[in-house]
Amino acid sequence: MTNRIAELRKARKISQAELADEVDVTRQTIISLESGRYNASLLLAHKIAMYFGLTIEEVFLFEEETP
Amino acid sequence: MKNFLKRVFPYVMFGTAWVLILATFLLGERVPKQLSLLLFTLGGVFLGFGAVGIALSRIRMSPEQQKEYERGEHDERNVAIREKAAMSSWYWTLYMLWAAFMLIEIFVGGLWGVAISVVIVLHCAFYMINIHRWNKKM
Repeated sequence: MTNRIAELRKARKISQAELADEVDVTRQTIISLESGRYNASLLLAHKIAMYFGLTIEEVFLFEEETP
Repeated sequence: MKNFLKRVFPYVMFGTAWVLILATFLLGERVPKQLSLLLFTLGGVFLGFGAVGIALSRIRMSPEQQKEYERGEHDERNVAIREKAAMSSWYWTLYMLWAAFMLIEIFVGGLWGVAISVVIVLHCAFYMINIHRWNKKM
């Protein structure tokens, strides 16, 4: 799973700390999400998508696993 | 009530520690040496935990720091890290116990082997009990 958090955040000119504040997580969590090392829970994905005014699918890109 | 107990607990521990240590000296040789050692060790442990608890409760944080601290406590990534670390620790402890069991069986034998096998069984039993408990909750 990849996401567009960094892209959306930069487009809106907000820092990782500000986004972390808005969605009530630590800055380290935002860093890990952006780098793809951590996958957000459904609740956090929903909060982030709501913050950007988008749907979860528009922020988080699910790729089908190839066998 | 829960917050009150949380605040008072370190002081109770600290007080209990001194009672235990004092009891060790007052009872002296009137009680078996093992009991005396147990009282003193418990006193030492309680003293340590109590003192640390009191010190931590006295650390004053600014509202921002307090907010950041609480956020760190409930942050889902931190929670996931803690759960994964706990799971890894469980396996490490199990491997260590197995290694100790094998070494004792080979070189020492006797009751120590039995004691370690009981600990291994308890270690796995607690795991299964908790699996069952969480299975019901989730």
